[in-house]
Amino acid sequence: MEKNYSLPADHDLFPEGAQRCSLMKFTVWMGLVGVVAVWGLYAAYKVLSTGLGVTALDDYFGFGLWITFDLAVIALGAGAFFTGLLRYILNIDPLKNIINLTVIVGFICYSGAMLILVLDVGQPVRAWFGYWHANVHSMLTEVIFCITCYLIVLIIEYVPLILEQKQLNRIPLLHHIAHNLHVMMPLFAGVGAFLSTFHQGSLGGMYGVLFARPYVFRDGFFVWPWTFFLFVISAVGSGPVFTVLIATLMEKMTGKKLVSWDIKSLMGKIAGSMLFVYLIFKFMDTYGWIAHILPNAGLTYDQNFYGNIYGQWLLWAELGVCGVLPCIILLVPSLRNNPALFYSAAILDCIGVTINRYVFTVQALAMPVMPFDTWETYAPNWAEWGSSALVVAYGAIVLSLSYRYLPVFPQEKKLNATKA
Amino acid sequence: MAVDRRGFLKFVAGVSAGVMVTPIPWKLLDDASIWTQNWPWIPSNVDGATSYVSTVSKLCPSCVGMKVRLVGDRPVRILPDENHPLSKGGISPLAVAEAQMLYSPARVKRPLKRAADGAYVAISWEEADALLAEKLGAAKGSIACVSGDETGSINEVLSSLAVQAGSGNFYLMPTEAQPAAKALAAMGGKGQLGYDIENSDYVLAIGANVLETWGPVISTRAAYKAARPHGEDPAVQFVFAGPVQNSTAAGADQWVPIKAGTEGVFALGIAHLLIKAGATADAADFSAFKSLAEAYTPAKVAEITGTNADQLKAVAAALLKARTPLVVCGSDFGQGTGAGTVMAGIAVNMLLGGLNRKGGLKLLPVAEPVVSSAMSRAEMMDKDFVSYMSRINAGKEKAPKAMVFYEANPAYALPQATKMSEVLGQVSFKVTFTTFLDETAMLCDLVLPVPMGLERLDDVATPYGYGQALYCLARPVAPMPASVKPAGDYIVALAGKLGCSLGVSSWEEVLQAKAKAMDADWDSLMDGNVFTSDATVSANLSFAADLLAKSVNVKAQEGNFAVAPVFKLGIGTAKTAIPPYNNKLIRRWELQGNELYVAMNGATARKLGVMMHDKIVISNKSGSINARVNIFEGIMNDTITVLMGLGHTAFDQFSKGKGENVMQLLTVGFEAGTGLSVWNMAGVTISKA
Amino acid sequence: MQAKEFKVKWGMAIDIDKCTGCGACMVACQAENNLSPIEDASNKIKVMNWLVVYELSNKKPFPEHDVAYLPRPCQQCGTPPCVSVCPVIATDKNEEGGIVSQIYPRCIGCRYCMAACPYHARYFNWLDPVWPEGMEKALTPDVSVRPRGVVEKCSFCHHRFMMAKDKAIVEGRDPEALADGEYVTSCTEACPNGAIVFGDLNNPDHQVYELARSKYASRLLERLHADTQVYYISRREWVRRQLDNYLDNEKVKG
Repeated sequence: MEKNYSLPADHDLFPEGAQRCSLMKFTVWMGLVGVVAVWGLYAAYKVLSTGLGVTALDDYFGFGLWITFDLAVIALGAGAFFTGLLRYILNIDPLKNIINLTVIVGFICYSGAMLILVLDVGQPVRAWFGYWHANVHSMLTEVIFCITCYLIVLIIEYVPLILEQKQLNRIPLLHHIAHNLHVMMPLFAGVGAFLSTFHQGSLGGMYGVLFARPYVFRDGFFVWPWTFFLFVISAVGSGPVFTVLIATLMEKMTGKKLVSWDIKSLMGKIAGSMLFVYLIFKFMDTYGWIAHILPNAGLTYDQNFYGNIYGQWLLWAELGVCGVLPCIILLVPSLRNNPALFYSAAILDCIGVTINRYVFTVQALAMPVMPFDTWETYAPNWAEWGSSALVVAYGAIVLSLSYRYLPVFPQEKKLNATKA
Repeated sequence: MAVDRRGFLKFVAGVSAGVMVTPIPWKLLDDASIWTQNWPWIPSNVDGATSYVSTVSKLCPSCVGMKVRLVGDRPVRILPDENHPLSKGGISPLAVAEAQMLYSPARVKRPLKRAADGAYVAISWEEADALLAEKLGAAKGSIACVSGDETGSINEVLSSLAVQAGSGNFYLMPTEAQPAAKALAAMGGKGQLGYDIENSDYVLAIGANVLETWGPVISTRAAYKAARPHGEDPAVQFVFAGPVQNSTAAGADQWVPIKAGTEGVFALGIAHLLIKAGATADAADFSAFKSLAEAYTPAKVAEITGTNADQLKAVAAALLKARTPLVVCGSDFGQGTGAGTVMAGIAVNMLLGGLNRKGGLKLLPVAEPVVSSAMSRAEMMDKDFVSYMSRINAGKEKAPKAMVFYEANPAYALPQATKMSEVLGQVSFKVTFTTFLDETAMLCDLVLPVPMGLERLDDVATPYGYGQALYCLARPVAPMPASVKPAGDYIVALAGKLGCSLGVSSWEEVLQAKAKAMDADWDSLMDGNVFTSDATVSANLSFAADLLAKSVNVKAQEGNFAVAPVFKLGIGTAKTAIPPYNNKLIRRWELQGNELYVAMNGATARKLGVMMHDKIVISNKSGSINARVNIFEGIMNDTITVLMGLGHTAFDQFSKGKGENVMQLLTVGFEAGTGLSVWNMAGVTISKA
Repeated sequence: MQAKEFKVKWGMAIDIDKCTGCGACMVACQAENNLSPIEDASNKIKVMNWLVVYELSNKKPFPEHDVAYLPRPCQQCGTPPCVSVCPVIATDKNEEGGIVSQIYPRCIGCRYCMAACPYHARYFNWLDPVWPEGMEKALTPDVSVRPRGVVEKCSFCHHRFMMAKDKAIVEGRDPEALADGEYVTSCTEACPNGAIVFGDLNNPDHQVYELARSKYASRLLERLHADTQVYYISRREWVRRQLDNYLDNEKVKG
C-alpha cells in the first residue's frame, strides 16, 4: 500500500477507522502533561527521600489532602465497578458503549490512589505488612485487601482492551487471550463489584468506627457503621457521572463525539437515582448524628464547626447545592436532557462527594475533642499538591494513550461518520 | 551457544520461578522490617553496666541534688535523689537535661582567642597560659573578677585574686541573695537568711516565685508535695502575691494580684493589720516601725499595689491564725528587687514571732573564708555589680584593665543588656572561664573552656533561702573532654603566677578546708552525703524603720504599662541558655518560630486596641522589643508579661535568635536609702507595629 | 465494647491541683525514651512529645481567672480507639499490665491510629531523628531509637516494668505483684511536686487504687468509653468540668 503522508506517522497503531491528531500535536500535549508529572515526581522524590516532614501534615492532621484525594478518586472511580455490575450482571446492554472508559478511569483512579498511598505511608517498604500481619479488626486492613485485589481485577479488565489494539490483536495468542477474557468478563465484573462495594464501604467504615471522634463516629448496623453504606451509595451516586464528565472532556479536547447523549443521560439517571437513595440515608444519618451521637458525647451541633474554614457552609454545600440540587436535575427528565444543566449537576455531584470525603478526613481531625484542646487548621503544601498533580498527569497520560491507540469508544466511528 | 529470544525468555522465567521457591525473597521481605528500623544514619543504643552516682547540680540555680545514671562511663540520665535534702525525690526541669547538655553544640571544646579581625581561633593551652599571664600581669592592680556561681568556694579563690592582684573588685552576678543579705545587714543581723518552708503551715510568698525559681526551689517543692496529699485539703496553705499568675500562683491556694515592685508595700500593709490585731516584736525600734506601718492602711496599700483591701485583710487574718506562718519576700523573676522588699518581709516575720522558730525565718551560720585574703560572704554580698558597671558608664569609676569572668554571662543577663555590653567594651582585656560559648564569651579576648558540673569537683554551700546550713560536693561523674581544664586548679595556679598567696595549693585543698570550716566530714561528703546543720545565729534584729521607710517607697514608672518578666527554670538561665530538649517547654503562644509573643489580659488589650497575634512594639528609654500579642487573663491590668531566657545572640541552634531578651527593657534604678541597684519595675509604652 | 481486663493494670492518678507546669516531666520523658531534640519546637502540633503539659483556663477575665496544668501521657485506654484500627497489629493491648504497646519495626506509618486517638497521644516521626554531634552518647540503652515514618507514643516506660519484673523474678518474688513504687514511670519519678502517682490500679496495696476511687477523680472524655487508665484529680470543679464534654445542663461529678 502506498504511504499516505497526510496521515500521522503513528496511524498504523490507531483503532480501526479512527482519526487522530498529528503526532507532533500529540507530543506537545504529552509534553505539557509531562511537565506537571515531572514537578509531581520531584515532590514524590522529596517525600520519599527526606520523609513526610516536607508535607504540611502534622500530628493533628495525620490525614490530609492525600487521603481526601484518594477517597475522592476512589469514590469517583466507582463508575467502573458499578457500570460493570449493571452491564455484565444486570445486562443493561447500552452501557457497553461506555464500559471501556469506566474501566480505564477506574484503573487510573485506583492505581493513582495506590501511588499516593505509597507516599502517604511512612514506611512504604513495609506496605505488604498489611497482608502479612493483617489485623482482621481493622477497616483499613479490609481496604488494603480490597483495593489491591480490585486493582488486579481492573488490570484484568483493562488487559483485553490493550490486547485489542489493532497491531497486537493480529497476534493470534493475544487475540485469543483477549477473546477469552471477554467471555469471562461477567465473572470479573462480579468479583470487582463485590470487592469494590466492600472497600468503598470500608473506607467509610474507617471513619465510622472512630468512636472517640464524635464528628465521624456512627454507631453501626451489625458490624458495619452507617458510614459503610453511606460511602458505597455516595460513590455509586457520583462515579457514573464522573465517567461521563471525563468522556465529555475528551470530546471537547478531541473535537469528536465519543459517547452518544442517550448513554450519558442513562448514566446520569443511574447516578441520580443512587444519589436520591443516598440523600435519604444521609439526611437520616445527619439527624441521628445531631440527635444522638453528639449529645452522647456531651457535644452540641455548633461545636462541630469553626470559622469559615470549617464552617456550616460545608455541610449545606454538601447536602444542598451539591446533593439535593443535582439529584433533582438528574432525576427530572426535562432538566436532565438539558446538557448545560446536566453537566452542571454532574459537576456538583462530584464536588459534593469530594466535600464529604474532605470533611470526614480533615474537619474530623481539626475538631478538638478534649474541651481544653483547640481547633487546628490545615492547608496542604506544594509537596502534597505536586504529588497529587502527578496522579492527575498520570491519568491524563494513560487516558491520552488509550484514546489514541485503543478501541475505547465503540460508538466513535458511527457518531463521527455523519460529520465526515 | 547462541541464545535466541525464546531461550532468553525461558531462562528469565526459569530463574524467576526458581528464586521464588528459595527462601531468599521471603527472607529479604521479612528483613525489610529490621533494616527499615536500623538505617545506618540512625544512632543505635550502646549497652553497658548501669551505675548511679549522687551529686549536686552546679548548672541549675536550685542546686538540686541528683542521682546520675551511668551506662559504662557515660551519664545518660539525671534522676532525682531521695536522700539529698535539695532534691527529696524531685528534679528540676533544667538539671534533668544536664546529661544531654554535656554534648551541647554550644560547648567550648578548646581555648579560643579573638584574632585581630574579630574571629575566634582555637589555640593551645600553652598559648592561652602565656597570653593570660602576659595580659593579667600587665593589668595587675586593675583586675576585676565576676562570678556566676553563687554557692561555690571558687568565689573565695576569685575574690582573693581580685583583692591581691586587682583593685578588690570581685562581683557576683546579681540574684536575690544580695538584696536579702543587704536587708539582713541593715537590720543588724548576721549570717544568712534561711526560710524553713518545710515546717511552716502557711507560706505567704510576696513576689518570691517559690515554686519555680526562688531559692532552692526543688526542696521547697518537696515541702509543697509533702503537705498536699492527692485530692485532699492541703495541710499547708501557699499564697502568692505578684503581678502574674505564674507557676507559683498556679500551685498556690490563692493568688493575690499585686503590681510588680510593690511587694514591700504589700508586706507593710500586712504588718499594719498584724499590729492592729495586737502583734508586736521585741525590737528597740518597734514603735518607729509601728508608726511607719500605721500609714499603710488597707485602702492605701490597695491603691499602691492594685490589690483589693479585703484580700489583704483575709491574708493577714490567715497569717494570724496559722501556727507557723512564714512570709517570703522576693522577686518574681529572681533578681532586681530592692533590699526594702526583703526588709519588709523580715519585719512581718518578726511580728509573727517567726525569727529562728521552727517553720520560720532563720539566721544561718556562714563559714569564714578558707582562702587567704578572700572576701567573706558578707563582703561579697555587699558588692553590687550593676552599680559598678553604672559607675563606669557614668565615668565615676575607671574601667578595670582586665576582667575575668567565671561562668558568668553579664552581656546577656544584666538589665539594659546592650548598654552593659558597651560598658564591657571599655575593658581592654577580658577572659572568660565558661562551658558554653555565650554572649559574654563573644565579647572576650580569651575564652577558656571549663568542665561542666558533672565533670568536675566542686561544692555547694547553703544556697540562699534554704532553711538549714548545708554543704555538699559535686563530684566528677563523667570523663572530661580532652582539652578542657577544671577552673578550680587552673585559677589557683593562675593566682600563684600573679603573685597572690592563697594559703592553699590546690582546688581540692580549698574544698577540704571549706568542709572543715563548715564542720563537715570530707570523706562522708566524697561518698555523696550532704552535711546539714540546724545551727542558727542569734537574732536581735531591729526594724531599721527609717531605712525601710525610704527604700520601700514606690517610684513612679515610665510609660503607661509595666513589664513583668516571667522566669521559668525549664527554659534555662543566662549561663545555660535553652537546653536542647527544653525548647519543647516553651508554650505555643510564647514563641512562634523566632517571633516573640508577650501576654496581657483582655482589658489591657482592649485598652491598647490590639487582638491576639497583633504585632506590637514595647519600648522605653532603655530599649525596645517587637512582639506579638497573646491574651492571658492571669495578668494584672496594664501589665505585659515577657518570657525570660529568649533573644540569645550566642549559644546554639536551640537558643540563638529565638525571640527577644526582656532584659533590654529593664531599666536600672537605685533604691533610696540603700543605694542598691534595682530593676524590678519596668515601665514601657506600647504601640502597634 | 468490653474493656480488656488484666490481673495487673498500671495506671496513674495525676493531681492537677499540684501541677505547676514546670515541665520536668516532659524533659525527663524525652531523655528516658530517647526522643531527639528539635531546633524549632514552636510548631506544637508537629513536635514529638510523648508527654505534653496542657494549660487549662477557667476562661474568666482578670481577676477571677484561674489556671491549671494538665500533663497528658498516653491514657493507656482499656478499649483503645487506636488498637483496633491498626491494619498491621503494630499496637496492641495485651497482658503487659494493660499498657498499650507500640511496635516500631511493625508500624507502616499509616497514621490511622493518630486519627483515632482524641488525646493526641500519638506522634509521627515526620523526619529522621537528629542528635547534635556526640549527644547520641547520652542515649539510654533501654529504648530503641525510632526512624522516620513510624508512629510512637508514651509506653508508661515499659522497659522499667520489664526491669522491675526481671528483678522480682531473680529475687524469687511474684512479678505480677510488684510493691508500690517498685516500678514507676520517668515522669512520675521526676515530678518535684509529686503530682503523679503511678501504680497498679487493681492492687489495693498501691496508692493509685484508692486515688482512682476518689470523689475528685475522673478520666479524660469518660463518656466516649475509652476506659482510660489515667485518672485526673482536682478539687476544683471547673477543672473537672474540662476533663470531659458537658452539655450546659449536665452536672460534673465529685
